[in-house]
Amino acid sequence: MTDADLPLDVRRGFHHTLEEIRQEMVHMAALVTEGIPRATETLLSQDLAEAQAIVDGDDPLDAKAVELEETCYQVLALQQPMASDLRSIVTAVRMIAEIERSGDLVVNIAKSARRILGNEIPARLRGLIGQMGEEATTLFRVAMDSYIDGDAALAAAIDDLDDRLDSLHRDYIQEIFRANHDGDISVQVAIQLALVGRYYERIGDHAVNIGERVRYMVTGWLPEHTGAARVAARRSSRDEPPRG
Amino acid sequence: MFGSRALRNRLDRIRARVDGPVIRTSSPTVGEAVDRLASSVERHLADHAAETAAASRLTRAFDLIPQGIVLADVTGTIAFRNRAASGFVDARHGEALVEQAIGEMLAAAGLGKRGTRTIDLFGPPRRAIELRAGPLRVDDEAGEPTVVGAFLILDDVSERQRLDAVRRDFVANISHELKTPIGALGVLAETIVAEDDPAVTARLAERMQQEAFRVASTIDDLMQLSRIESDEPTDLELVAVAEVVDGAVDRTRAAAAMAEVDVLVEPVDPSLFVIGDRAQLVSAVANLCDNAVKYTDAGGEVRVSATRDYTGWVSIVVSDTGVGIPARDLERIFERFYRVDRARSRETGGTGLGLSIVRHVVANHHGEITVRSREGEGSTFTFRVPLVSPEPIDVDRP
Repeated sequence: MTDADLPLDVRRGFHHTLEEIRQEMVHMAALVTEGIPRATETLLSQDLAEAQAIVDGDDPLDAKAVELEETCYQVLALQQPMASDLRSIVTAVRMIAEIERSGDLVVNIAKSARRILGNEIPARLRGLIGQMGEEATTLFRVAMDSYIDGDAALAAAIDDLDDRLDSLHRDYIQEIFRANHDGDISVQVAIQLALVGRYYERIGDHAVNIGERVRYMVTGWLPEHTGAARVAARRSSRDEPPRG
Repeated sequence: MFGSRALRNRLDRIRARVDGPVIRTSSPTVGEAVDRLASSVERHLADHAAETAAASRLTRAFDLIPQGIVLADVTGTIAFRNRAASGFVDARHGEALVEQAIGEMLAAAGLGKRGTRTIDLFGPPRRAIELRAGPLRVDDEAGEPTVVGAFLILDDVSERQRLDAVRRDFVANISHELKTPIGALGVLAETIVAEDDPAVTARLAERMQQEAFRVASTIDDLMQLSRIESDEPTDLELVAVAEVVDGAVDRTRAAAAMAEVDVLVEPVDPSLFVIGDRAQLVSAVANLCDNAVKYTDAGGEVRVSATRDYTGWVSIVVSDTGVGIPARDLERIFERFYRVDRARSRETGGTGLGLSIVRHVVANHHGEITVRSREGEGSTFTFRVPLVSPEPIDVDRP
């Protein structure tokens, strides 16, 4: 492979490349932050054409994810970055996967809209779907804000924000049981709606993961450290001879 | 002597470079050459300053244009952005998609391609951005137009799209609201003509009465609306807020009892007064209560309260535990004849003008109306009016 074959001009400054990767990720994530409310509205208005547009719109996101990951590997191999530069690239590789997966979940919501076509969703469930959509959008926006601004404190707050989505999700599931019990929705619709709730909840989890990656990028902290610290503590307490 | 001629020639050559392609005369002495060069440089600097001033005036003018303007060279590299377009640099979230589209369209325009794209941003806030790009051409020496750069115009068309929808729906809805009952009247009358059974005739006549009543109330509301719209309120007086609330709730009681909806009124501070048109205020709050009752299922409740809020305004709050309003309809419910659910509004028999009347009454009183709602949980309308009207008004004190 000659220099001319490289998809990315590796002779340019490393930080310039990092900046390009960052911008591409912001664009990818924008497709998700815009996609969540779009899919929510498609679901609530049962707009088939829009649902199809969302499904088709995922292909460019997937292609971009593959391309960007490749770029990251090239930078790792050719530039051998260290310390915070290394963390930036590693964070990018992990975040690309989170964003791409979130895009898939948006598509899943649109597909569910097609599956429940013609079935009326009871008002309370519509309200809860709207709220979950708003929370998921907010979480994803905040996660990307923390990444763009390198704000570790904001990133750490995302986990708490996600509790709101989780509690909405629990209310939503209860409401599905109630609606089904009252005969307002069939089992088929109930299951589709339950899956939809799961998709929003998972998008929230991906936002939390992005937040954790951002904390790692900025401070070197890893979520696994807390678990790892517990394991180490347990091990050391076992190894210690009993007192007294 | 030779040295001075060389120096003279050199100075003249420099002057020629400053002046550009003009007829040059060689200077007789070194002193003359220096003077001429100095005045050339002065002239050049003055021209340059004038150009800079003109360019900065142009930039200022571009900044005042509400549309975004972006200019690029033939490779699509951005050379200029006015203020309205400057929000799409290093953008994030939905704006990042606009930034990307701007880049792509300018690159295409640099190759001579025109293009238009509308990007719907779900935000929040929800916006629609229209982008138009094309090549900038200048005639070269042979008179052939050549692409020298690219331009892009960025326009926020959200408001325009909203107004288009309002206009389109209004025409469709008003014809529906008036034609449906009149069509029904026609059919009923036709049936009566051919009907001999007095019992059936009586039933049909009753239906005709209902339909006639329906058209009449639509027309009444339309007339009230146009009166409120066209005139400033004339019957300004000091109005007790408690009276407004009581008057409005009294009008709703019968409908609430029929619908088995509880109307709970919190006691209103009797010292709260506003300046306004008593009839308009009562009618506005009554419309809010009426809607709250209509869109709440049996067993639900409607709460009405009025307090002086922290800004010194009076807030009249009407909240219900009803069906709520879908998020996408929220900003449109104050439009004339706008219906969230046509089937339901047909059952409840509203004219579709109630909230438009409320909005105009609020505007006449220099107040504001806000709404919060969740589907399945209910809606809360907050009607706010200043305690003291901003304009001096003669008041008949009670």
